[in-house]
Amino acid sequence: MAVMPMKRMTIIALRRDRKSILEYLQRQGEVEIDRDAPEDEFYHKIDVSGSRQIFEKNVQLLDTALSVLASYAPEGGGLLSSLDGRRILSLEEYESALSKRDKVMETARKIISLQKDDAEAKASVPKLEITKESLAPWKDFDLPLDHKGTKKTAAYIGTLPGEMSLEDIYVALAGVSEHSDRFDVNLIASEPQQTCVMIVCLREDAQDLSEALHRLGFAKAPSSSDVPAQEVSRIEAQIARAGAQSVTIAQEIAALAEHRDDIKLIRDYFALRADKYEVIGEINQSDKVFILTGYVTAKVAPKLESALNDKYDIILDLADPTEEDDVPIRLTNCGYAWPIEGLVENYSMPGKGEIDPSFITSLFYYICFGLMLSDAAYGFILAIATGICILKFKNMESGLKRTLSMFFFCGVWTIIAGFVFGSFFGDSVSSIAQTFFGVDKAAADGLLPALWFNPLNDPIRMLTFSFAFGLIHLFTGLGVLIYTDVKNGKVADAIFDGVSWMLFVGGCVMLLLTMPMITGMLGLDFVLSGAPAKAAVWITLIGLLGVVAFGGRESKSIGGRIGSGLYSAYGITGYLSDVLSYSRLLALGLATSVISSVFNTMAGMVGGALPVVIGVILYLIIFLVGHALNLAINALGAYVHANRLQYVEFFGKFYNGGGRLFAPFTAKTKYYRIKED
Amino acid sequence: MTMGTVFALLGAALSALLAGVGSAIGVGRAGQAAAGVVTEDPNKFSQVLIMQLLPGTQGIYGLLIAFIALTNIGIMGGDPNLTTSEGLLYLAACLPMAIVGLVSAMQQSNAAVAGIALVNKRPDQFGKAMIFPAMVETYAILALLVSILAIFGVAALH
Repeated sequence: MAVMPMKRMTIIALRRDRKSILEYLQRQGEVEIDRDAPEDEFYHKIDVSGSRQIFEKNVQLLDTALSVLASYAPEGGGLLSSLDGRRILSLEEYESALSKRDKVMETARKIISLQKDDAEAKASVPKLEITKESLAPWKDFDLPLDHKGTKKTAAYIGTLPGEMSLEDIYVALAGVSEHSDRFDVNLIASEPQQTCVMIVCLREDAQDLSEALHRLGFAKAPSSSDVPAQEVSRIEAQIARAGAQSVTIAQEIAALAEHRDDIKLIRDYFALRADKYEVIGEINQSDKVFILTGYVTAKVAPKLESALNDKYDIILDLADPTEEDDVPIRLTNCGYAWPIEGLVENYSMPGKGEIDPSFITSLFYYICFGLMLSDAAYGFILAIATGICILKFKNMESGLKRTLSMFFFCGVWTIIAGFVFGSFFGDSVSSIAQTFFGVDKAAADGLLPALWFNPLNDPIRMLTFSFAFGLIHLFTGLGVLIYTDVKNGKVADAIFDGVSWMLFVGGCVMLLLTMPMITGMLGLDFVLSGAPAKAAVWITLIGLLGVVAFGGRESKSIGGRIGSGLYSAYGITGYLSDVLSYSRLLALGLATSVISSVFNTMAGMVGGALPVVIGVILYLIIFLVGHALNLAINALGAYVHANRLQYVEFFGKFYNGGGRLFAPFTAKTKYYRIKED
Repeated sequence: MTMGTVFALLGAALSALLAGVGSAIGVGRAGQAAAGVVTEDPNKFSQVLIMQLLPGTQGIYGLLIAFIALTNIGIMGGDPNLTTSEGLLYLAACLPMAIVGLVSAMQQSNAAVAGIALVNKRPDQFGKAMIFPAMVETYAILALLVSILAIFGVAALH
């Protein structure tokens, strides 16, 4: 439950060990290496972008090969297999597999070139189909389409626009030429769009005919040196061949799928090398040695130090970071608070002097979620589903495991809230008893009584509870503020910003409770009077005085100080809206149970009106679909608003963030995790 | 059947209707933005889907108010005989959810669309992108609360 202390690490080592040391650090993934260390006349950076680009290109090539394999030979494994993490490989296995590197690259290139061939084969088919189509009207023509005539005659083979009969053609020719009687027209086919013709004339009239045809919009037939029928069968053979080729290629690629695991491994290998070369380009080196600086957590520093000293001839120095250093932040938390680290990371890492808020947030976050989903059955579904996934997939990546653990705890608190407020699939117990067992409403409602009360029957009580919960949450936030200030030696700030606000807000709440109007509205059966009421006045006044007197202590002038002090007292309205904001606990909780009961009522109306068997089936269908929908939408709502209550209301009181997440130099692989004992 | 029942039903219908319309517009707008992101990077689907769903809750709240109103009026089994003033009370009780639901869902979708653009550029900022639309939703929740309390209050009167 804390921010891990960091050490500043400096390593000076021989350049011949550079590769080995960096690979070791990369596999360990515990050191954040400085990327902007300044050069000097002795140490300077070297340019390795050339080699890096080669590795990155290889990664790209292998990724392409993998995606080709995925489309020709899809990998098995259901939806849940994505929960399983990267496969674990020992260092020896990894290193022995690397000898296949060149062979794997060759296989990958082959896969890609096969895929290109397949694409070409597939692309040729539509082109051939079009040619075949254009030959269709000529299928009975028994001359090659590029026939130009004989020694004495000229032949024009082609199409005229529109559907024409033989007479139409002669009429049209007469309209554009004086010698139309010297042309011999053969009608081949007449179609709605075009008319296929062969027109023959003597060589000496060819010029004349050509001009006439040009005016009529004559288009030459598709050129082919074969008789159309033969040409068509030749094209058909080509199409069949392309299809067959495509099938063979697909089989060939599918046969190469056995190398998939090797390709994945080599892909990771090149990705690692690319990352390593990126670092090599960032560290300072001389002719014989290199110098590497960075951060390492104090916890692993000694272990890492002795391991490195055992293996290599190096100078390793560990120092505490100075005030000026921009120390990265890594959090460490145990079980219950660990999942909340993700929430904190999403907001911002703790800034200088701030504590890790994960633990304190975990005390409220799950409960907020539980109160908003507040249905025991939904809680069971959430907790059991996430629990099984966590247990079954031992190898799961830690980020995913963290999220699932968070929903597991959320589920547990949803179960608790569900029983406390009497909701199990909404009012399903009562609905089923009424629909199928003929129990009357009053008795059915009593079958699953709420351990405390049912907010549907008494929403005001739930509202009061929500406000009270909110006040505790906000005061805890102020408490953390006081704690942090005291820890950082800013006792004055703790008193002025923390304690005086606590008194002021607390006093105001007590004052409100002295008013019968307010307690009546909130459904409370007591009114503060006598000594507590008097105390409330004093507490409020002391708090207010503290806020007004010290709220503007940054101002130089007296007037400015009083002014801004008074203005900061106006911040009480902020507390009012903060507390009111917790009414969402009631609203979202009610939303779950009311929508549940909408579906239960619908199911009951349908199921109760029909004979038993069909009734039960229809009841179940409506029930399952309805509750699946309700669970999805309300779990989303509970998640979003539980986050909001932490980020806006809770963190707003004490937490600014602004720290930098610890980003160690690590093996960013996609498929394999290399384990070193 | 009395005039009061007509007014009360009008209120219930308005809350489901206006809030539903608002959410439909909101989810639709956000969905367009989300689809745009997915064309670039299909891996962001789950993130932008959550962002798209955020303006959808107003419709659910509207349904909720409509349902509570219907049960209390007696339309869904019971005795639907309300005086005109009782009917008008129900109508008034439903209005916060109806109107705030409509407007807040549309405004929330603007924030959601901007949030989707943010997730597209910086997926690591998803947690923050989600909070901006959630801020708008606060007012829908407050309206929901007022409508619930008012309906329960009115129901206790008769």
